[in-house]
Amino acid sequence: MTTVTAETTFDRPSTHPVPWKPMVRVTWLQHRTELIGLLVLAVGCALAMILSQESTHSAYASYVANGCVANPLHGRCGTIANSVGNDTDSFSAVVIALHVLPVIIGLFIGAPLLAREIESGTFRFTWTQEVGRTRFVLTTFVMLAAVVTAVACLLGLLLGWYGHPFEVVGVESQWQSGLFDTTVFMLGAWTLVALALGSFLGALIGRTVAAMAATTVVVGGLLIVSFLDMVHGLLGVGAIATSKITPNGIGIGALNDRDYVSGPPPGSWLVRGWITGPNGHVLSTTAANNVLGRAYDATEKNFANNAVPRWLSIHHFTYWVSYQPASRFWVFQGVAGVILIGLASLLVFATIRALARRAAH
Amino acid sequence: MNIIETTGLEKRYRNTWALRDCTLAVPAGHVIALVGPNGAGKTTLLHCAVGLITPTSGYMTVLGDLAPGSLAALERIAFVAQDAPLHQHLSVRAMLIVARNLNRRFDMTLAERRLDELEIPADHKVGKLSGGQQAQLALALALARHPDLLVLDEPLARLDPLARHDFMALVLTAVTEHGLSVLFSSHVVSELERVADYLILLAHGQLQMAGEIDGLLAQHAVLNGPADDVGRVQDQLPVVHAQVAGRRAQLLVRMSDVSEPPSGWECDDVALEELVLAYLRGPSASSLPGPIAIAANRASEVTR
Repeated sequence: MTTVTAETTFDRPSTHPVPWKPMVRVTWLQHRTELIGLLVLAVGCALAMILSQESTHSAYASYVANGCVANPLHGRCGTIANSVGNDTDSFSAVVIALHVLPVIIGLFIGAPLLAREIESGTFRFTWTQEVGRTRFVLTTFVMLAAVVTAVACLLGLLLGWYGHPFEVVGVESQWQSGLFDTTVFMLGAWTLVALALGSFLGALIGRTVAAMAATTVVVGGLLIVSFLDMVHGLLGVGAIATSKITPNGIGIGALNDRDYVSGPPPGSWLVRGWITGPNGHVLSTTAANNVLGRAYDATEKNFANNAVPRWLSIHHFTYWVSYQPASRFWVFQGVAGVILIGLASLLVFATIRALARRAAH
Repeated sequence: MNIIETTGLEKRYRNTWALRDCTLAVPAGHVIALVGPNGAGKTTLLHCAVGLITPTSGYMTVLGDLAPGSLAALERIAFVAQDAPLHQHLSVRAMLIVARNLNRRFDMTLAERRLDELEIPADHKVGKLSGGQQAQLALALALARHPDLLVLDEPLARLDPLARHDFMALVLTAVTEHGLSVLFSSHVVSELERVADYLILLAHGQLQMAGEIDGLLAQHAVLNGPADDVGRVQDQLPVVHAQVAGRRAQLLVRMSDVSEPPSGWECDDVALEELVLAYLRGPSASSLPGPIAIAANRASEVTR
């Protein structure tokens, strides 16, 4: 039988919460394998970009030296531009790899973050320490988010540097779906969403492998939908319409292409093209194509002399294009980024709720 | 001051009740054994106490008036879960650092000294330690926090007899040195009397018995007498367990309000193990403090 003689210390005052700085080391100890893996991957991607850019560099330097930036139609500019454009295969490969980066982060860092704690039972240790469950989860998440987002932003920055020559010579555009999602800002935001989504699914499912599979499907699915549709949908918002154009080619309906028509300022993103009739009404796609067919027949597709636009004008038709000017690019980046960061914040909130629900059920 | 107090505490997992109408009040300064068969609700009660799960209904406070799981409560409660789940991929030293950094108050020197005494190497991975060593490590981490309440869920389950002895010796030393209260669940009924002075007995999610062990033993007795007289005794006393062999009967009865045994019956003291087993066999019997007893307990605290 035990006899207790010492006094208990119930009146010990409670002060401030456990500070977050010591949590840095806890996070490092718990997640160093994943973070080192991410670092190796990031260094690999960075080296791939730096080495690939080497071969583009000389052609691009020649392009700049020949004054092709100001006058792309001058002298040998077309030939030089083609040699720059020949390197887009490796650029595309890096862009695809960077699209996979958020999936990898969600898969290997986000999903196991809580699922592994729940599955292995270690949550019974960590969540009963003085730091408390919510503070532990939030602090760990914020620290991991800071690291993975910083890595993603650096890679996005490097991709911007790598892709700049292609942008200048006009073979790639930062507006297009693949590049829009991999800028310094958007890659960081997508990574944050992937981490938050993985954490949420881990908290919800509570089993590591299942959470990893679900994260891959959902994050991958979101990125594909963004690539195929969401970016174009976003860029259609508030597009400017103009008929003061000299088209080198005419497109009807969704264009989603860089500025192959003159009229919109350089660097603009074309959203839609349409034709209005003599009464100012917009022609249906079928009717517009019929009109274009007649114009092509009459002018033998002679765009060089503006024959097609002149034919349209003579017959009281007007070709219109809606576009986003280059000056809006970072505004759209900001809007898309804020949407993604908002989504990540909601997912973090939902994760905390999911853990509370897990305790209640 | 009560270290744990519950009123009508209930916890349901989907369609299964893990705890039903659990009302108890445990004063501070005890080593409390929480006993019951598998599925009795022991782990559920402990998880409620440390804030890992939320009760479906009812009310619970710890360390006086603190909400379980609140930061103020977590600061003063250390929990060693069943099977001592620690981060298997970390070294023992890294595990110490993790524990130190998750708590403002952590006696690193004490923890390291205990591990030295136990000859647990600091550079070994936690996952490479034996089950007993992992349990000792978990206990060392918990004690280094200098808690007011130490909660242990089946701490002896994975230990051999010698390790059990060492483990509980460590706990009792901490109790003596620091005056903490200990709440531990266990299947090992035979060792309770040596380490615990307060007993909570759960069966089928319901509280069967709670109180200081000395008091519980004093309230119960074993009566030996004629089998054909069992009915008369049952009319006078609550019979927890009855065993009839031929013309003789042995009854374990609660004698809270009676000082003398019925005439014709011999009265013997009851052993703790015998008492516990009797209640486990007859889960309808109960010897609870009840709400009135809790009120009286509080009153005595106030006037003390």
